Amino acid sequence: MKKTLWTACLSLLVLSGMLSACAGNTNSNNAPGKNAASSENANAGDVSEKPVAGGKPVVIRHTMYDSEFTSEMVAEFEKTHPNIKVEIVSADYNKLMAMMAAGNGPDIIRTNSVTELPGYVLKGMALDLTSNFNTSSVFKTEDFLPVVNQFKYDTITGEHGSGALYGFPKDWSPDYTIYYNKKMFEEAGVPVPSSTEAMTWKQLVELGQKLTVKNGNKVSQYGLVYFNGGTIANQDLINLQLLQQGGSMYSDDFGQADLTTPQMKDLLQFWVDTAKSGVGPSPLHQETDWGGQLFVDDKAAIIIAGYWFSGFLKTNELTKDRLGDFGVAPAPTMEGGKRISPTGAGTGAIIYKNTKHPKEAWEVFEWFFGGKPAEDRAKAGYGLPGTQTLAEMLPQSTEFDKMNYDFIQNELKYTDGSLPYNPYLNYQAVNSIFEKYFTPVYFDKDSIDGATQKMTEELNTLISEGKQLVSPE
Amino acid sequence: MNQPAQTGKSASYGSKRFRSRSFKEALEFYVFISPWFIVFILLGLIPLLYGLYLSFTNYAGFNMDRLVYVGFDNYRKVFTDNDAMYSLGRTIFFTVIMVPASIVLGFLLAVLLNQNIKGIGIYRTLFFIPSIIPVVAVGTMWRSLFVEDGVINNLLLQLGLQPVDWLGYDYAIYPLFIMLLWGVGGGILIYLAGLKGVSKDLYEAAAIDGATTVQRFAKITIPLVTPVLFFQFIMSIIGSLQIFVQPILLAANSNSLLSTPIRPIYVYSVHAFQQIFAYGRFGYGLALLWVLFIMILALTVVVFSTSKLWVFYEVDQGGK
Repeated sequence: MKKTLWTACLSLLVLSGMLSACAGNTNSNNAPGKNAASSENANAGDVSEKPVAGGKPVVIRHTMYDSEFTSEMVAEFEKTHPNIKVEIVSADYNKLMAMMAAGNGPDIIRTNSVTELPGYVLKGMALDLTSNFNTSSVFKTEDFLPVVNQFKYDTITGEHGSGALYGFPKDWSPDYTIYYNKKMFEEAGVPVPSSTEAMTWKQLVELGQKLTVKNGNKVSQYGLVYFNGGTIANQDLINLQLLQQGGSMYSDDFGQADLTTPQMKDLLQFWVDTAKSGVGPSPLHQETDWGGQLFVDDKAAIIIAGYWFSGFLKTNELTKDRLGDFGVAPAPTMEGGKRISPTGAGTGAIIYKNTKHPKEAWEVFEWFFGGKPAEDRAKAGYGLPGTQTLAEMLPQSTEFDKMNYDFIQNELKYTDGSLPYNPYLNYQAVNSIFEKYFTPVYFDKDSIDGATQKMTEELNTLISEGKQLVSPE
Repeated sequence: MNQPAQTGKSASYGSKRFRSRSFKEALEFYVFISPWFIVFILLGLIPLLYGLYLSFTNYAGFNMDRLVYVGFDNYRKVFTDNDAMYSLGRTIFFTVIMVPASIVLGFLLAVLLNQNIKGIGIYRTLFFIPSIIPVVAVGTMWRSLFVEDGVINNLLLQLGLQPVDWLGYDYAIYPLFIMLLWGVGGGILIYLAGLKGVSKDLYEAAAIDGATTVQRFAKITIPLVTPVLFFQFIMSIIGSLQIFVQPILLAANSNSLLSTPIRPIYVYSVHAFQQIFAYGRFGYGLALLWVLFIMILALTVVVFSTSKLWVFYEVDQGGK
């Protein structure tokens, strides 16, 4: 019995030791107050905390998909930077929010410059990198393409696209261009669209309807899919249409939302009619796969997706050997509106404002966004780069590459313009509001009037809360 | 003369020994449970209480340095939030149907699987398999069966029937019920353990007295497995009130945990998750979850208080 008791006591001692060690680490690394104080005005160029005694490398946690920052890249970086270990954290929004909530944010955060950057800056998550870029030996600011401005935000005027620079794009595209399957056009006896002249949204949906194949109510081939969700009313597509028409869901200062305007209701009606026609996936015609998969499976004739999609087609097992089947056309535009084909994402990254290792984080950042990985990405054509120098490396060797290159040179003339996302609202919250209140409209369980009223009220409550949170005074 | 004094000394010594033994036993008990207890405090209780504290603030995930105490505002909001009340109603609706359905179905399956027939092990394995498959795989599987172009609609077409919009407004609750009931096999193991614990002597005695099969089932089997039924009842209530991921997996855009399920299957935990992670209302979302916790606790206490009336324990439960 005595022996058992001693064993239990010893086990307990060991366990307690282990737990307190864990707790000790957590406290020393993650205390939010401490972090905030230590790096309140930190700059990525400042000398950061030295690696711990014994030459243990500093760990930089980077949210990115492991297909974007591969284990080979990590090994390559660590080989030339023995003082730094890179840990890739899966770029999952829920995970990021949980990490932020625990005061344990990653050092480098994958960021969608169009939809997320202003919100991240206002929430105090983004480190001002202006001086780092100005003094960098890797980045040359005069070489930057205008898309880099999507990583600028002016906290005084609230203007997105100017002010301090907080990040850099990994790759980007005019995301609302159109890829189509030529064979499906042939089978339907429909001429393929122009690669230089933009269709209107109405023409695009009508074209999609001609290519849709139905068996009774059941759709066996969609005419038009969107890579980022159903062919339905969502904030991405509506923001683009509003930008082209010269409108917005929000007031100029983003302090109010109004979805009850005749302009908004017309747009929403357009998408309700589109969903009901069965031209693409929607709550009325649900799918298990995303739009890109439907396209490569020959279950969709047209997809709204950016230049990056050409890279996807080149590497996908189902399409890489039949690239001649695919064509590309400009982003659709609103009738009577301005032709604008903006980026919908401009994905890149920021450095976490409270990082304990701003210097090492910048080393990783500089290497990944301006070094060899950036060159490799440009050469592969998996999205457009952020600098003119890298843009010259875009692939042109094959017929398919040449088609995409020529197309994008023309489309780039129309990329000016920032999609009007509200910095006080989480992108995900607006998506949820659309899904929650607008889905009943497709099923005739609510009217557009009723839904827009509820959406406006909820958006305004959230805007007011968001403003209060970022500027409590 | 010295005798009583000696007896007294001996009694006092005995009492001390008893106290020391009981102290030693208590110490051993606490030492043995301490690994679990320490982990529970560090990883269970402290985060729980921290969550409780945050539910009284305007915490939004990034404003720890400028938290504002909001009193019971978040809790008041729970009861004025139409979506919270609607989703709570849907959750209770699912619970009211799912709990009896899963218990009856699970128990009857266990009774069938308790028969002494050849190959019964294979059936037991088959019925248990759904409960070891990850819920995401289960959801994806059922979703692919129920989508417009899925197996079920193609089967209906083959039979000359019209396809059904299973994941739409009017039918979405059925795939959810089917998906949840498909997993009732998980309880079979516990029911079987209960059934195996019923002494065969009782059945033999009842048979000699002329009891029919139905009588034996009603008068022996059911009363003797009531502790197991009681346990399953409690666990089913808790599980049903906490239902979360299954409706999301049946949502139109099911590739994200932030997808919003269609209105008829919009349940309370989904609403809380959305409030926290999509809306960034951590304080309010935590208040929603604490309200759910209190509801579950209250319901459990109520069910426990009724257990004296219908749960039969072979061993006296009145001891220390």
